[in-house]
Amino acid sequence: MKSVVTTVIASADAAGRFPSSSDLESVQGSIQRASARLEAAEKLAANLDNVAKEAYDACIKKYPYLNNAGEANSNDTFKAKCARDIKHYMRLIQYSLIVGGTGPLDEWGIAGQREVYRALSLPTAPYVEALSYARNRGCAPRDMSAQALVEYNALLDYAINSLS
Amino acid sequence: MLDAFSRSVVSADASTSALSGADINTLKGFVAEGNRRLDAVNAIASNASCMVSDAVAGMICENQGLIQAGGNCYPNRRMAACLRDAEIILRYVTYALLAGDASVLDDRCLNGLKETYAALGVPTTSTVRAVQIMKAQAAAHIKDTPSEAFAGAKLRKMGAIVTEDRCASLVAEASSYFDRVIAALS
Repeated sequence: MKSVVTTVIASADAAGRFPSSSDLESVQGSIQRASARLEAAEKLAANLDNVAKEAYDACIKKYPYLNNAGEANSNDTFKAKCARDIKHYMRLIQYSLIVGGTGPLDEWGIAGQREVYRALSLPTAPYVEALSYARNRGCAPRDMSAQALVEYNALLDYAINSLS
Repeated sequence: MLDAFSRSVVSADASTSALSGADINTLKGFVAEGNRRLDAVNAIASNASCMVSDAVAGMICENQGLIQAGGNCYPNRRMAACLRDAEIILRYVTYALLAGDASVLDDRCLNGLKETYAALGVPTTSTVRAVQIMKAQAAAHIKDTPSEAFAGAKLRKMGAIVTEDRCASLVAEASSYFDRVIAALS
């Protein structure tokens, strides 16, 4: 899983040397920024279900045609699956906040995403709308500190970009 | 390769749940003690060549047969290979200590090491002894308590600000990585 620490170790290993002081400094930089990320991850974990539910409601509100017969949100099974997908994205965003890189989103979310949605003929626009809603919903300092919100929003933007 | 953060993410993903508050608190502890960890890594990396040569010399002192004709550290070519291997093992232990996770040590160093040494006829007991010496050295360097009686004029302290418990948790963690090497070899 790619993160600052593993990248530093991989390059030191490729050169066959012990971690140099500049390696240690870049790890220190990543550790110093970690507290904001961990705060965002903690707040998100505490409200993951609500955040995902609100985002799901928002995308169905914008695209009500999804409720029509034969569409992606037309029955209870489908509805549960839609809500679950949004929750998956929020969970992967929490993982990425923890790791301090986009590794979890890349490896478990974005890789193969386009092919899966095409195979299942799912539209990506509702996902974008759900994540955009979450993106614009966060508010500092009500939800989390300003720096934590910056980290959280950056990952939501990254996920939105991957879908659009 | 994983670090302490991605390790917790991988185990949370196994149950498709977000990281719990307890897990996040553990990671906050990792962050809070981050500078100590970097000092510990620096202490080992800065003294690496000394540690390696001392460990191999100590191993040979205890078993002179190694440098006599037919021994595994004779001639110089094989002694050089031995020094190189000790340095490689110490380097991967240092990486593991930096990452806070043993995966880099397991994947890139220990996987197949025992079989390789068996095929090359490297004696396990001697290798284990050198690793044990490096384990003791690493503990002393992380605690920054080199022995004045043994070091004499060569005494060298890292001089980092040392905490009350002398980084006991990091000493234990580094020791566990050395133990992992020993377990993998024997």
